[in-house]
Amino acid sequence: MTALVTSLGRSVLALGRELGGLILLGARLLHALVTWRRGAPDARELWSALHRMGNRSVPIVLATALFAGGLMAIQAGTFVKKLGATGLAGWGAGYAVLREIGPILIGLMFSGRVGANTTAELATMTVTEQLDGLRALAIDPLRYLILPRVLAMTFMLVVLTVLGDLVALVGSSIVGYTVLGIEWSTMYFSFADNLAPADFLHGVTKSVAFGGAIALSSCHFGISVRGGAAGVGRAVNASVVSSAVAIVVLDFFLTYVTA
Amino acid sequence: MSEREAPLLEFRDVDKAFDGKPVLSSMSLSVRRHERLFLVGTSGVGKSVAIRLLIGLLRVDAGELRFHGARIDELSEAALLPLRRKIGMVFQHSTLFDSMTVLDNVALPLRKHGGLGLAAARVAARERLAAVRMEQHAARMPAEISDGMRKRVAIARTLAMRPEVVLFDEPTTGLDPVSARHVDALIAELPATAGVTALVVSHDLISIRTVADRVALLYRGRIHALGTPAELAASPDPVVAQFLAGRSQGPMDTPGF
Amino acid sequence: MMPQADPSSAPGAPGPPDSRDPPGALSPRPTLLGRLREAVIAVGALTLAALRWPAQLAAVLADTAGGVVRRVTGRSRHRRGDVLVQLHLLGNRSLGFVLITLGFLGMVMAYQACLQLSRITGDTSQIGQQFLRLVTSDLAATLTGLMLATRVGAGIAAELGSMKVTEQLDALRMSGVLPIDYLVVPRVLASMVMTVVLSVLGGLAMFAAAGLTAKLSFQVNPTVFFDASSVTFTHLAVGLVKALSYGVAVPVVAAACGLTARGSSEGVGHATTSAVIGGSFAVLTLDLIWSIAAYLAFPGRL
Repeated sequence: MTALVTSLGRSVLALGRELGGLILLGARLLHALVTWRRGAPDARELWSALHRMGNRSVPIVLATALFAGGLMAIQAGTFVKKLGATGLAGWGAGYAVLREIGPILIGLMFSGRVGANTTAELATMTVTEQLDGLRALAIDPLRYLILPRVLAMTFMLVVLTVLGDLVALVGSSIVGYTVLGIEWSTMYFSFADNLAPADFLHGVTKSVAFGGAIALSSCHFGISVRGGAAGVGRAVNASVVSSAVAIVVLDFFLTYVTA
Repeated sequence: MSEREAPLLEFRDVDKAFDGKPVLSSMSLSVRRHERLFLVGTSGVGKSVAIRLLIGLLRVDAGELRFHGARIDELSEAALLPLRRKIGMVFQHSTLFDSMTVLDNVALPLRKHGGLGLAAARVAARERLAAVRMEQHAARMPAEISDGMRKRVAIARTLAMRPEVVLFDEPTTGLDPVSARHVDALIAELPATAGVTALVVSHDLISIRTVADRVALLYRGRIHALGTPAELAASPDPVVAQFLAGRSQGPMDTPGF
Repeated sequence: MMPQADPSSAPGAPGPPDSRDPPGALSPRPTLLGRLREAVIAVGALTLAALRWPAQLAAVLADTAGGVVRRVTGRSRHRRGDVLVQLHLLGNRSLGFVLITLGFLGMVMAYQACLQLSRITGDTSQIGQQFLRLVTSDLAATLTGLMLATRVGAGIAAELGSMKVTEQLDALRMSGVLPIDYLVVPRVLASMVMTVVLSVLGGLAMFAAAGLTAKLSFQVNPTVFFDASSVTFTHLAVGLVKALSYGVAVPVVAAACGLTARGSSEGVGHATTSAVIGGSFAVLTLDLIWSIAAYLAFPGRL
């Protein structure tokens, strides 16, 4: 019993420490952003971060979106076939994709691809003393390395969610036609008549928050790595897990706030 | 060199402990302008810790650090940035940024501090690389060149900030003998060519004999002996004699043995 | 400019370290022919990378299957009770994570569904039944699988990857032990069991959280919401098949990433990243395949 309490206490302490670290990093980044005149985010780093992140994540995210759209069409199709109202399939699939499944799955995949990669990169730089190397060159790693990555990640996830939403609707239509036997035009009008810009914006708003959370946790776990190669692996693991938790928790609150 | 000249860099009664284990205790040392001072001692004695304290990568527990007579141990992280442009550091593993070419590594401080655009910084960086005879490797990635080459690039990168002092952390450790002597030669000419003072952490006996103006032996958390290489070589102190002779037998504590 | 195989085309394919700026401004201006040649080389490298990855995955899958056979026939060398140890580790590591994430997702999905239904028909009596069918045949297993790809996949890849780069795997081989039998098989067996168990628990958490949300936000009577009468054996079977297949896929993908790690900390980071994305993608692909198959195989019964 005491062992259980001790381990519970230790987990709570560890959680508090990581949360504190995350909040502190967020505050320092915000400060760096508002005082950007003292050192604007390095344009070259920002551009190369955008380029690499985009390159790395576009194929996997679009494939995910295509699948997610297909899956939702199957689930919606199972339901509407019973009611005999195939015109509602696009509504069901599109609604789920735009508001929930799209942003969440795209966020999770983005965290697995770009967030994890950023953690691994920063963690490797930390264990090989490259961050201290930057400091020794009188360059602030927060402004030079982290701020451009956080900005790039947040921006990139929004772009990917917008693109992914469209691709997911295409995926729904493909599965609708090939598996459910719903005409392309029926699906199109089902989308057009039932989906509002508000549904789309609801999802995109979420993606801003998800992107910020993924960026913050991937950078935090990257720079606070300890212990060589195994430490880098652990940091990546911690980063993707906390991103996933952050995504579902933020999703919950944002749904209530913006519904 | 006059003894009355104010020291450029100064440790005053510095204490530093890790997890309750003292590493430096009341360490004091003065570095004179334009000298090549070697801080020597066995592994794990705290030499690297001492120079990391100077640029704020680690913080002192007690005592003072002074640069041009002014306190530098209490500066905030933001206030440390201008200081680090004056006190450069070359790390043991060079710490080149492995996502950039050799040229862009050297161009980075020029771009950030020299107010140069990318193209101008690259031109200037190429000259810097020529000074360490690395210009033909400018386009290669750090992972593709040898340890000795990386060290020379790291030196060029640090000198690009035009610092007053350069701290070297074991510059010849892990290098083959020929590369090590190349690095020694670069350090030896620093005061004359760049007007730079060098504080070198080392346990390379050849470097000590050939490059050092003065040698400080760090032992049990403080400076045990200080003098020119010749003075130390003539010292009757058994600890100094054991270190300079590189013997395993003697009074020195060697952790782990 | 160096032609680089873009590893993003093949999820998780180990490629060259891809965090490099090409030394663009230094190379001479490429000619049209030069660019064409580069493009051909890039396409070739991409194709090779795309082919190498499935081949590696198939090899590890076959090896693991062989390892399971060796174990069943008593010819493999492994620690006694290793599956129990792995079960304990897996459960310990993931139970809280799965319950929290699925619980939150259950609340959100119920909220969105009720919101939409109350706008259109106003009839929320069907919602509990319908949601439970969806959870049973899909969401419980698939969301659990995605979460395990993140938690367990990354963990296995990090562990095996750091053993690989510190040459511990070679040390195992030198002492006559197959790393697959010793390290991978127990993890796969434990993962199959644990994915099913966690899917059931996660599904319950999801359904309970959904019911709570429906009651609190839309006044749906819990006795109406918690109605399991329409869940059939088919729904359960589809969910079970999905969970089992994710249970195999996630550790196998992670092991393939970990066992092919190269270099040091950078290699381990790359292996871990690849495991997360490869595992998640495997789960989604399998989900789509099983969902379409189930839809076609049991028309009107889902």
